[in-house]
Amino acid sequence: MATIDITADDLVVNVEGLDKLWALKSSLTIPLTNVRGATPDPSIAHEWKGVRTAGTYVPGVIVAGSFRSEGERVFWDVKNPAKALVIELADERYARLVIEVDDPRATAELIESAKRN
Amino acid sequence: MGRPRTFDEAQAVAAAAELFAGRSFDGTSVDDLVTCTGVHRGSLYKTFGSKRGLYLSALRHHIDGDVTRVAGEISAAPPGEAGTRALAGGGSLGFLLLAATERAAVDDEVAAEVSRALTLLDEAFQKDEKATALALGLLIRSRADRTLIP
Repeated sequence: MATIDITADDLVVNVEGLDKLWALKSSLTIPLTNVRGATPDPSIAHEWKGVRTAGTYVPGVIVAGSFRSEGERVFWDVKNPAKALVIELADERYARLVIEVDDPRATAELIESAKRN
Repeated sequence: MGRPRTFDEAQAVAAAAELFAGRSFDGTSVDDLVTCTGVHRGSLYKTFGSKRGLYLSALRHHIDGDVTRVAGEISAAPPGEAGTRALAGGGSLGFLLLAATERAAVDDEVAAEVSRALTLLDEAFQKDEKATALALGLLIRSRADRTLIP
């Protein structure tokens, strides 16, 4: 599970609890100008994630860490696919974050609206 | 780092517009978009940023295409027939009606696009905003009463 904070200029993603160990990083700070959008996507976890480069992957149970797929680095931290949120980035270490949040739809709207203000 | 795009972006946007027009924003999943556009999930995110990004592109496509065409037909109508022309072409304005009711109130960029579409229609009706309102009102009624429009 992750929580999202939006400051004046940044999107801050906090990875909570034990996920910290699995996903290696507990917090990611991304300038809002590098955030391209956010989308609730419960089905993305069923897709091929690519090659794990760091973190933990227990198929069907836990996906956490850094994956490389089709030339892109993607950060995953999802246990419950129904709550998956996809955050697309530009000019960042990760091309995409796939994280689990409490309310994916509300969080997506929050990020999308912060991005245009 | 990006690979060259291996899909026709305009074609994907057109397919998405059709889907959003039929199922609304909330009713359309990323899975639906992947299936109908034939574009891989990763490419959709990379190109449009988010489902909302694709929705905005699709809405702009609808306004530049369908809405502009209907506005042209209204402008070209003989005196007294503009309203009839609007209703005849109105079947293709479903996405605009849906965007106005579903998303304009919660998304200022959608609101701006809907306003742009309404301005196009107002201008086609010689700036007679009441004529636009009447035509759109009748189009909404026609969804319940299918006999209203041919």
